[in-house]
Amino acid sequence: MDTSNPAAFVNAELLRMYVGRRVRAVIQVLRNDGGSIFGKSTDEQELVVKGHPPNPPTTFVEVIGIADSNRSIQAEIWTNFGDNFDVSSYNTICQLANGDFKHLFI
Amino acid sequence: MAKTVTPDAISVILANPCPDSSSDLPEIVVQVVDLKPTGKKYMFMASDGKMKVRALLQSTLASEVTSGNIQNLGLIRVLDYTLNDIPTKNEKFLIVSKCDAVSSALEAEYKADVKVEDSGNSLKQNQEMDVDVKTESPGIVLKPKQEVVTKSAAQIVHDQHGNAAPAARMAMTLRVHPLVSLNPYQGIWTIKVRVTGKGNMRTYRNARGEGCVFNVELTDEDGTQIQATMFNDAAKKFFDKFQMGKVYYISKGTLKVANKQFKTVQNDYEMTLNENSEVEEASNEATLIPETKFSFTPIDELGPFVNGRELVDVIGVVQSVSPTMSIRRKSNNETIPKRDIVIADETKKTVVVSLWNDLATSVGQELLDMADKSPVVAIKSLKVGEFQGVSLSALSKSIILVDPDTPEAKKLRSWYDSEGKDTSLAAIGNDLSLSNRNGARSMYTDRVTLSHITSNLSLGEDKPVYFSIKAYISTIKPDQTMWYRACKTCSKKVTEAVGSGYWCEGCQKNEDDCSLRYIMAVKVSDASGEAFVSVFNEQAEKMIGCTADELNEIKLNDGEASYQKKLKDATWVPHLFRVSVAQNEYNNEKRQRITVRAVAPIDYAAESKYLIEEMTKIKVSN
Repeated sequence: MDTSNPAAFVNAELLRMYVGRRVRAVIQVLRNDGGSIFGKSTDEQELVVKGHPPNPPTTFVEVIGIADSNRSIQAEIWTNFGDNFDVSSYNTICQLANGDFKHLFI
Repeated sequence: MAKTVTPDAISVILANPCPDSSSDLPEIVVQVVDLKPTGKKYMFMASDGKMKVRALLQSTLASEVTSGNIQNLGLIRVLDYTLNDIPTKNEKFLIVSKCDAVSSALEAEYKADVKVEDSGNSLKQNQEMDVDVKTESPGIVLKPKQEVVTKSAAQIVHDQHGNAAPAARMAMTLRVHPLVSLNPYQGIWTIKVRVTGKGNMRTYRNARGEGCVFNVELTDEDGTQIQATMFNDAAKKFFDKFQMGKVYYISKGTLKVANKQFKTVQNDYEMTLNENSEVEEASNEATLIPETKFSFTPIDELGPFVNGRELVDVIGVVQSVSPTMSIRRKSNNETIPKRDIVIADETKKTVVVSLWNDLATSVGQELLDMADKSPVVAIKSLKVGEFQGVSLSALSKSIILVDPDTPEAKKLRSWYDSEGKDTSLAAIGNDLSLSNRNGARSMYTDRVTLSHITSNLSLGEDKPVYFSIKAYISTIKPDQTMWYRACKTCSKKVTEAVGSGYWCEGCQKNEDDCSLRYIMAVKVSDASGEAFVSVFNEQAEKMIGCTADELNEIKLNDGEASYQKKLKDATWVPHLFRVSVAQNEYNNEKRQRITVRAVAPIDYAAESKYLIEEMTKIKVSN
């Protein structure tokens, strides 16, 4: 397992702290353009994810890639997370993983 | 006529403060130390080499001193005396009314020798210097240690500074160790503790014969507590010595890991004292008032303690105080006063605390008078009962502090003032009495780890206790009897009838056919440990994925391998279980029996929420 470049759990608010670095986020798909997806982050903000989204994507998708601005991600890995997802729990995890428990992740 | 000090003479005197002058007094010969005149009388310290007591020679005896019969460092036989208490200090005072001079001044202050006493304090040094056992002369090295036992900590330090190398080795025994530092691997210690609880002497019988045992609860200055147990000879030796509320120096006890089944005190270790242990009353130490150490349980976490042996501490804001009630005790028809108070904490739950006797009348009244100010109370050592779901009851050793000056109290006060007093608070009992009735209320009430159940064997002693657990099935043994033949109508066990068919005792008739119903032992594991649980038909069907009849078909028709695979497929699947825990007796041994009452699949969203809640409770220290 390659642990050399860990991806930080982010929502929209945390994304700006990791611009240029590797991140992972769960997005609710709003619009699918084929080359990118407009989605809603777990803290209810709009994000753009560029790359090759899965066909077809489920309602929720996890993306892992480089944050290229504080509102967009260049995704390398896409995973369909299904249509049922507890957004608030994930959001709390993002906050804990970057706050009190950061030492366990990065 | 002995010309030596009577061993334990002072103890004899202390045990018999007012002897009948005509009764046979045992031989009491003591050494006169620190003799000095006060007015027309003479005061001294009466010493038996081990202990000393302040003493006064009655004026009639003053002439014996002036004439030179009674000398400082000389020996006297006490023929008649009275032992009084000094009212302001916790000390005794001996008035010698009649005595004989036995010997003129000895060379030095007499210190009890190893050979003379059976449990002399000086043993430590002597054991190491075995060579010198024969010598009568008390080694000089013993002296500082002796003095320490009856002197204050300040004296100990003074003596240590005044001595060279020998003292250094003994320094470990001289210094009073805090209870929290004791462990089974360091045997050389002395503790200074107050007896805060004394059990009754109990007799028992086991494979090795009969015996008697009792235990005491000891608390030191820091508030740390430990339980000390004594068996047989040691029990008889120390039972009368240990008195509630008194302070003692104790050494030469042994420590072992506490048996969670029996402990009431928060300590990983428990102590055993044997006949070689030393217990000395600290006669001038009225100042050891142990600081009360609390370990608060939030009200919404009281569930798992219901009907258990472990005592809890709580802190909360007083919501209401009842008037005094008179309760008649069933055992002896005695009436005792009782008062109920309701407290609330930041978990937004309330609980009833019952106060009895003095607590009801004194603190209870105080709380009633200030109830409108919603005071904060911190209470230590409460028993958790199941009246109305959860109820707390005070014991004679419970301690109540009103509006204590502690950070928890301040936090509670500010919570209450800002939001608590306006929010709706629910009784914790409601959550629990519901779940106990239905047995399968919610998979999140009374959520515990497996180790919480397996480490407390007294759970469910009188009535079964219910918990929720999340665990993985770790083993289902294929070669166990996992079903029984059951009546198709009433599900009771049937027996093979004479001829063909089956007889059902419950329905009182013969049936041609029966069904198989699961009754199996399954091993489950979670992060804290593992346990065996019993599972009945409905739950087992969910876990295996087929009925007992179907599984039997697989076993008979498809072969052993397919049957085992079916069981293997059920392994390492996580479930939420609702279990009941009860205590059974089996071959005179008490066994814990955990039975699954309900099983549910993991709802990951709900489980995540529960885990997040648990995580946020963990304080991360930087």
